Amino acid sequence: MEIKTYLNEYGIIGVVSNYKNSLQPFNTIQDLNIKNLESALKMVGLDNTIIAKKYSDITINELWKIELATKLNNEIIIVGNLSTSLNNKDINYMKKLFRKLSQEYHKKIVIIDDDINIFFEIVKKILVVKNHKVIYETEDFFDKQLYRHCKMPKIVEFINYINRDKKILQNNVEIYELIKDIYRSV
Amino acid sequence: MKETNVTIISNNINRNLLTYYKDYFVIDKNFTLDDLVQHSKVIFFNILYTLTDIEIKELYNFLNDYDIKFINFTNNIDEALLTNYLIIYSEDKVIMEGNTIDILKREKDIRNLGLKLPFYIELSNLLKDYGLIDKTYIDKESLAGALWK
Repeated sequence: MEIKTYLNEYGIIGVVSNYKNSLQPFNTIQDLNIKNLESALKMVGLDNTIIAKKYSDITINELWKIELATKLNNEIIIVGNLSTSLNNKDINYMKKLFRKLSQEYHKKIVIIDDDINIFFEIVKKILVVKNHKVIYETEDFFDKQLYRHCKMPKIVEFINYINRDKKILQNNVEIYELIKDIYRSV
Repeated sequence: MKETNVTIISNNINRNLLTYYKDYFVIDKNFTLDDLVQHSKVIFFNILYTLTDIEIKELYNFLNDYDIKFINFTNNIDEALLTNYLIIYSEDKVIMEGNTIDILKREKDIRNLGLKLPFYIELSNLLKDYGLIDKTYIDKESLAGALWK
């Protein structure tokens, strides 16, 4: 199945694959010709002080957000490497932003990352892509086959470990639900 | 900072931080163990996330055997548990540094920087709040043993 078909069905998908940031070096942000620059920057969590900064002074975190700002008008927004470019607060912010872009602006979003934790609470479909081909797909964060292609999140690792001989805990990717489940079971 | 292995976490990781560690050899792309042998001090710059837990353990043993000191610059706070010493930067300034577990006890300060706790530390803290355990555990085996005695 083509990725576009998955996007039509799910709106936001997670892809386990390599991603290379597409933003080429620039002199200042004005060179990028971002439409409605100030509101685009605000949407991605940057303020106007970034406009005057030279490329060499911009951090990885800021570059990632600038790259997103350049893509906001696209019908399909492809982002990658959140786990290596952003801190946890920014990741949570971006998840809310992606939901907004999907629900209010009807954008399709592709999130590419090796870290499955990024997909929690935002993605219902995960694809593993190699050499531009979808080699595996799943909707289950506890699908063991998925972890032949990427690292298992610690919460999945913990629950699998506890359930190794007998099912004690429910499959859960939300830590507060896990706590309630542990409380019930000890 | 003592001459020991260190994890450096920043809420805004950037290469400017490397200027403070000029006597270290920087690794920021795929590498082999042979690449490391000729250096006594290395920096892993946002790269260890590509390794499995087994590969990290292997790497750690290798570095230990060859007495190679390392600094791990990373976004991934779970990697902090690889070393006994942790430095947290915010906007190129050191905000916290010291014994890893002592630093990670400062949950509120860490969250205010936009970071999160390593999973087992966060889980331990929540379980302590519920009165289910009385100390912090950093791995699944010891935590499971404490919960289901």
